[in-house]
Order: sequence, then C-alpha cells, then structure tokens
Amino acid sequence: MASVKTRPLWVLLFLMAGCGGMMDDIAPSGADKRPAVTCGITGPDVCQIATDFTLTDTLGNIVTLSSVISSPGVRGTVIYFTMWCPVCDMHMSNMRSTVLPNYPDVRFFLVDYVSGSVVNARNAELSNGYAGSGFTVLADTTLAVLDLFHGTMGTTVVIDRAGIVRLNEDYKDGARLRASLSALP
Amino acid sequence: MNKRINRSRILAVLLAGAALFPPLSVHAGSCCGGAGGTGLVLPKFYSAMVDVSSDIEIYNGYWDQRGIHRADPPGSDLQQYRLNLGYGQRFSPRWQASIVVPYVWNDNAYNNFSSRTDGLGDITMNLWYEPFDDESAWKVRNLKDMTPSVLIGPSLLVPTGISPYDEVTSSFDVTGRGFYRVDGNVMIAKTIHPWTASLSLSYGAYVERSVNREYGNYVEPYRRKLGDRSSAVLSIGYIYYLGTGGDALTGTASLSQISEAEGTIEGVSDPSSGFKKTSAGGSLAYSSTDHDWSVRVSMSHAILLDGWGSNFPTTDIYTLGVSYGFR
Repeated sequence: MASVKTRPLWVLLFLMAGCGGMMDDIAPSGADKRPAVTCGITGPDVCQIATDFTLTDTLGNIVTLSSVISSPGVRGTVIYFTMWCPVCDMHMSNMRSTVLPNYPDVRFFLVDYVSGSVVNARNAELSNGYAGSGFTVLADTTLAVLDLFHGTMGTTVVIDRAGIVRLNEDYKDGARLRASLSALP
Repeated sequence: MNKRINRSRILAVLLAGAALFPPLSVHAGSCCGGAGGTGLVLPKFYSAMVDVSSDIEIYNGYWDQRGIHRADPPGSDLQQYRLNLGYGQRFSPRWQASIVVPYVWNDNAYNNFSSRTDGLGDITMNLWYEPFDDESAWKVRNLKDMTPSVLIGPSLLVPTGISPYDEVTSSFDVTGRGFYRVDGNVMIAKTIHPWTASLSLSYGAYVERSVNREYGNYVEPYRRKLGDRSSAVLSIGYIYYLGTGGDALTGTASLSQISEAEGTIEGVSDPSSGFKKTSAGGSLAYSSTDHDWSVRVSMSHAILLDGWGSNFPTTDIYTLGVSYGFR
C-alpha cells in the first residue's frame, strides 16, 4: 500500500501514462513500421514521382523543378527545408562542406519556408552567411512546397532526373544523403 | 534571543537556497529539442518542499557552428513558456530526492505563419547526498569553519516530453529531447555572512535508443545517441536581512556554461550535432522563515557576442518561482 507521501507520485505517473505518444520515447521501438508505398504514382515518398513546383529564388529567378532536373548534365536535385535555426545551420554547414563539393552534377536548394517573402529570404540568406555558398535559396512563401513533401525543419529530399523521389527524411550526418546521391542514375 | 535570531537567519538563507543553485539544465525551445526540468534542492531542516516556477524564454538569434552570432529570420518572434512543478522530500538528515515536472508552451510567429503548441516537457528526478554541512556561516575562526556544504548525487532525465520521434507534424510541436539521460551532479556552497558563493558541476550521458519515426513519418530504423553533456554554474550572492526576524533578501549573480558533445548515429560520430552555450544570470530571492515561503525572480542572459556559444539559440530566460518548505 502506497504511503500518503508517495501517493501523489503514483497519481502523477498514472496521469503521465495517459499522455499521447509519450511511450514512444519511454520505451522506443526499433520495429520497421514504414507503410507500404505505391511506387510510380505522384507523391512525396521514396520511389514516387515528385509533384512539379515553381518557386522564386532569392535573386528573383523563377525555378521550376522539372526544368532543373531536365537541364543537361544534371543528375538530380537536393531540397533542404530550412528555418535558419542552429540545427538547420549545422545540417547546411555539414552539407556544404562534405556533400555539395563532391556532386557538381546535382543542384542543391535550400527552401526557406519561414521568411514569407523573397526579400526576407534573401536577408536571411545573407545574415546567415549562405550567399555564394553553392546553395540556391528558394522562398516558399505559401508553404506549398513544404506541404507537398510533408516537410519540416531539416527535411531533406533527393529527386533524380526522372523526377523520382530517392530520399525524403530528416537530415542526419550526411552519410545517407551521400549514399543516395552516389546511387543516382 | 540572539541564538534564536541567528537560527531564523540561517533558515532564511537556506530557504533561499534555490536561488543560490541556478538551474543546471538548459532549454532549447521547439526548434532544437525542447525543455528540460531544473534541479530542486531541499534546504536543511526542512522535510519537504513544493516549488512552482514559470519561465519565459525569448529567442534572439543563435550561434552557428563556428560560434558566430546570427539573427533570427526577419519578422520572427519566438518564445517558449514553461510551468515547472517541483517536489522535494528528505528521507534522512543527509538524503533527499526531488522531481520537477515541466509543462511547455511553444509560441512561434514568422512572417507567413504562426504556431502555438503545448505539452509535457522532460521530467527530471534527482537524488542528493549531503556529506558536508556548512556549519559556520558567521565567523571564520579556523580552517574547519571554511568547510562548505556539499551535495552530490545522480539525476535522471525522463523523456516524457514530445520529441521529434513522436507522432508530431513539425518541429514546432517538440517539448522534449526524446532520450533518457543520467547525470552526476556536485553542488558546493559556502556562506560567510553576508556573502555566499556556490559552484554546481554536472556531467551526463544520454542512453542510446532506437528511432523508427521522425516528425511523424516512419523511417528505416536506426540507433541514435546524443552527445555527453557537461555544465558548470558559478554564482556569488549577497544576503540582506530585513529586520531582526527571519526575513532575508538574497541577490545572486551567476555565470554558466553548458555543452553537449557530438552524438552518434549507428555508433558513428555525428558532426552535425553538439552545442555550447555560455550565459550570465542574476536572481533576487525573498525568504521568510516565519511562514516558510520563498519567492524568487531570476534572469539568464545569453551574451550576444561571437564565441560565447555554438550551434545553439541565444535566449534570455526570465523566471518567477515560489517555494514552500515543510519542517
């Protein structure tokens, strides 16, 4: 029988156990729960065909996915969703130093989904030290592309020249991104 | 009579102890891994304590990987609010334990959208052993009188918050790190009236875990571990007695540094992880042994200069806390 002193603790633990999703961290699972994906149809998942989109870059150029990947000599593209936070900066710095220089035939895009305008996205690019970095910064002012790929901070998407999604996941240490880019046809 | 006044004064200072031990944990907001609870130390002569505090954390840019301070996106307004409920229980004259449960509200506004989310944060549980007491706080007559109070003990961070590995839709939902962490803590404090000083040191290691979901999307399972965390807080305070009873006002200034080493993914070092943050703080605590209450206000200020941190948000944290001790 719980003493009066420890009773509040048990009540607290009982209430906590009812909080949604908490058990995912209390007892993490290593089971592969990825749902089956239908390949070859339009969608954001790996092996699906990426929906075409058009955004404006921070220099005012119109950028269309289908045009980028069909350009001569381009094997694919990387799209990284940034909100200019320290974690994003770590990812982008890592990508800039360990990935970008090794894949000259891949186009790297940073999609700014928080600045709200091309001018503000340009200011964020400059103040964060990414002008002339090799990345092209795109302003997703309506969050349309973010929604298209079910993205959030750090989401990294690789699309090959056929428009097939090769990777769509949170950026890690760059190893999986490099492996995905090396496997591009 | 004098003895009674002295005892009241000692109790008043001890009751203000929470202000002398600034929080060991660091908060990292919705973008970067959520809040952590703070430690709770039970003053001597008290059998239990309840502590309620609220924090407002205001973001003002971040330090990048090289330690250069960068601004937040134009037009952004990023804040986190926390309500921390703490309870400490003494089991013997030298042993005590405590638990702090935070509830977190994330409030983020950008030019083209805003987000408000809330949820339980990561819970911290502490066990403290007090091998030495600071017995002579009034006058130093010999070397023994220089003996400080020392507390040592482990703490456990329990991932009760909402992490990137839960069923969330974006980084704005996050209120916790998603990992267990075990810390070893040492707190040393010495009071020679009216001055007091303390040093808090902590070193912690996260427990490696499986990850099969990121921001709501199931992914190929892998093993992940955050880097070891170390922190140090140095503080110095001045005690001003109000009248001849047990009321005291304690002002404290502190300097703290916290860092986290690189984590690992599948056992391989992750160069896109780790951080460091240095901050200066100040607090004012009013304590009254007549009613066993203590009230404190504190501020932790991140120094907005290059080199005072890396890979971490620069934030100011304002805290208002109330404690009640049971004798």
